[in-house]
Amino acid sequence: MAKYTLKINQQEFTVDADPQTPLLWVIRDEVGLTGTKYGCGIAQCGACTVHLNGTPVRSCSLPVSAISGQQVTTIEGVSEDQSHPVQKAWIEAQVPQCGYCQSGQIMSAIALLDKNPKPTDDDIDTAMSGNICRCGTYTRIRKAIHNASNEISNGSN
Amino acid sequence: MEATNSIDRRKFLKLTGISGAMLAIGFESLAMELGEDAIVKAIMAEDFIDGTAINPFVIISEDGQITIMATIPELGQGINQGIPAIIAEELEVDLGKVNIVKSSATRKYGRQSIGGSRNTRSLYGPMRKLGASTKEMFIRAAAKRWGISTNDCYAKDGQVFKKGSSTSLTYAALVKEAAAIEVPKNPTLKNKKDFKLIGKPLPRPDLEMKVSGQADYGMDAKTEGLLYATIERCPTLQGSVAGFDKNAAMAVSGVEKVMEVTRKVYGKDNVGIAVVATSYHAALQGRKALNIQWNNAEFAKISSEDIDKELGALTKEEGYEHVEKGDFKATLAQADHVLGVRYDLPYLSHTCMEPMNATVHVKEDGTCEVWAPSQSPQVQRQFARILGIPDDQAEEKIKVHLPYLGGGFGRRSMNDSLFECLQISQAMTKPVKLIWSREDDTSQGPFRQRTAHAMVATFDADKKPIGLQHKMISQAITTQGRPSRGRLPFEVMEGINTHYDIPNISTRFVEYKNQIPIHWWRSVFGSTNGFAHEGFIDEVAIVAGEDPLQFRKDRLQSEPRYVKVLERLEKEANWNKKLPKNEGKGLAIVESFGTIVAHAVFLKKQNGKVSIPKVVSVIDCGVYINPDQVAAQTEGNIIYGLTAALKDPITFKNGAAEQANFDTYRMLRMNEAPRAIEVHIMENDEAPGGMGEPGLPPIAPALANAVFDLTGKRIRTLPFDLQKV
Ligand code: FES
Ligand code: FES
Repeated sequence: MAKYTLKINQQEFTVDADPQTPLLWVIRDEVGLTGTKYGCGIAQCGACTVHLNGTPVRSCSLPVSAISGQQVTTIEGVSEDQSHPVQKAWIEAQVPQCGYCQSGQIMSAIALLDKNPKPTDDDIDTAMSGNICRCGTYTRIRKAIHNASNEISNGSN
Repeated sequence: MEATNSIDRRKFLKLTGISGAMLAIGFESLAMELGEDAIVKAIMAEDFIDGTAINPFVIISEDGQITIMATIPELGQGINQGIPAIIAEELEVDLGKVNIVKSSATRKYGRQSIGGSRNTRSLYGPMRKLGASTKEMFIRAAAKRWGISTNDCYAKDGQVFKKGSSTSLTYAALVKEAAAIEVPKNPTLKNKKDFKLIGKPLPRPDLEMKVSGQADYGMDAKTEGLLYATIERCPTLQGSVAGFDKNAAMAVSGVEKVMEVTRKVYGKDNVGIAVVATSYHAALQGRKALNIQWNNAEFAKISSEDIDKELGALTKEEGYEHVEKGDFKATLAQADHVLGVRYDLPYLSHTCMEPMNATVHVKEDGTCEVWAPSQSPQVQRQFARILGIPDDQAEEKIKVHLPYLGGGFGRRSMNDSLFECLQISQAMTKPVKLIWSREDDTSQGPFRQRTAHAMVATFDADKKPIGLQHKMISQAITTQGRPSRGRLPFEVMEGINTHYDIPNISTRFVEYKNQIPIHWWRSVFGSTNGFAHEGFIDEVAIVAGEDPLQFRKDRLQSEPRYVKVLERLEKEANWNKKLPKNEGKGLAIVESFGTIVAHAVFLKKQNGKVSIPKVVSVIDCGVYINPDQVAAQTEGNIIYGLTAALKDPITFKNGAAEQANFDTYRMLRMNEAPRAIEVHIMENDEAPGGMGEPGLPPIAPALANAVFDLTGKRIRTLPFDLQKV
């Protein structure tokens, strides 16, 4: 066991954990932010996606010892009140079904739009194919990303 | 950990629903806020609601807040709002102002289990009646107060009005008196034309929580002192433990207990070894150290090749009669042309996005708190028997939270993980969360059935069909672990359309038995039968030289609802338009769970790659609640069904499933999904049909039929690789 200070959603947390513990379980069970989900544990489904210094990563496959000092953003840090354009677009298109994959989907979509505010369908395929949705919300996710993209570019004009 | 602010109960109710609040601020601070002793009393969703309960579902506070309880497990189908919307419709309240609260699981709400796409179907009538009789009680209370006849009163927007005047009383003002009135037995229901909510695309309130990480799933259950458990189970599912290294597992830092746990699956007790630790990571490390030796030689023989051969042998059996029309056998002798082929579908895993899990706290004082991510969450009676609690105290001593479900698909109608977790918590009198790994979830079953279908069609000299036989060979869900009943088992022939106007039809079932457990999987036998039947109907249409859509329309004239669905599909999909050579189209129509669904799948081959640009669907589900949810469920069924058709099967080698995680049991992803899915809903006054499953059975055959149209290649075995057709 060792002590780690984590910067999550602009807040500092000190946790005691085995160095090999995946960041996912530290975020969920030590810090208590359960919006980030477990789906596979082997970087195949994207349910555990968080941002590390703004880049989407699979927190199930990152040991806590590897992220010390870096900025982690989880779904809870996206906005206070579901007001992020991507969250709003998700509600508008009524994307989630069971919702279990959606934290990860939204984190991947935000990272995509941060880098590429006007993604094509192919760009969306590339950025989002790491996120499985067993409920099959893919067509709505695509639509919501396009809508959020419009919203973002209109807002910044 | 996180800074906890003092809470405003009402605000939490409105913004997040109950359990989200519990998670966000932590159990203890909440208990303090409520002035309760958290250790003794479980705080349930209902504890947050102020007001008078006019019945278990409708609660009205003095300041006018109307709460409607959402009591049916929400697994993505929108039932959390669907049922309250039905109540609100008849109650005449503005759903936007209603506080929908996800309830706990308890007997006072009646049956809370969900499956068979049955909930809207079976609750539609009773919940309308509940809403209407509640409204009636307010009207009677108001009439009494005003000293006038109830005929001179009407209800609107949560108030009772005096006819012809603006005098009114709110429900809140009337609630105490109304609650004392006897519940009317035969309230008048609204006319469909007056509906304000039913049939409208209402946005779902639970989505606010689902886009912000606040929705509480079973996996997110939180309580003080929680321990985490994982279980190593026998790879062949059945077998017993010959030995294991308990000390090695206990030596892992954080591990608190290593114990045997029994999992019952269809009457078979299977023992596994649980490792319980202060973190899930530690529990997994302990599990790796177990080194279990299994006594399972007798179960380690079965392989997919053997199963294949066994099913093949059974195609020669007569089996049980399902439908016999005319004399199919006689046509074999008369026929000018006979087409005989076999269709095959694999075992599959349900693979809910949220792996199986359960949280149970058996407390020192003999009470028990449960978080049940289950399609059948009312476990009080069964838990009470195990805990030695008398039946009549089960509800009081065992409290069951009902989290959101990260998918169900039939898998969560089996409560195996809850009973495993109960054993661990009972042994430790501590709160325990049991998490199945993805590998456990994929490979431990129970599975979707593997089926074989012997299909024969007979044709006259003009190549018109005179006979059709569909012989289905499979295990049956309801006869597992017991001898065959000697008759057709329940629901095995679901999705086989015997309405086709072919003079001699024979549909039969041959029962297969083996050790592999199977279980209800989204659309169940419809998922397998629909593929074989509608794929074969397409083959028959092609032999007959007819257009597959026209063929179906012509031969389903006895069933006008089918014909209307097909006509609509013809129009919406622009079916008769000729496609370029590198494109193909296919359709299928299947009725299941009281709903008829037809899909048209379009394929395109470009730069050597085959994609699915579009799927067009037409749904006849009778009266529906929320058209956007009908569409969403259909989209979901299409993806779920395409995954089953195109991705990995569950296969067995030496008695064990060969697939474990998403690298070997792959799911359809964004880049492979249809770019567009169009859903069209038929308008009629037929009884409500199910929506959670009926969109699934026709997708695989529509796809296979499109592959034929594109390539001339007939797909009769699932799964197949779309890039290799
Ligand atoms: S849980 Fe991390 S990618 Fe699946
Ligand atoms: S919404 Fe259920 S897995 Fe995506």
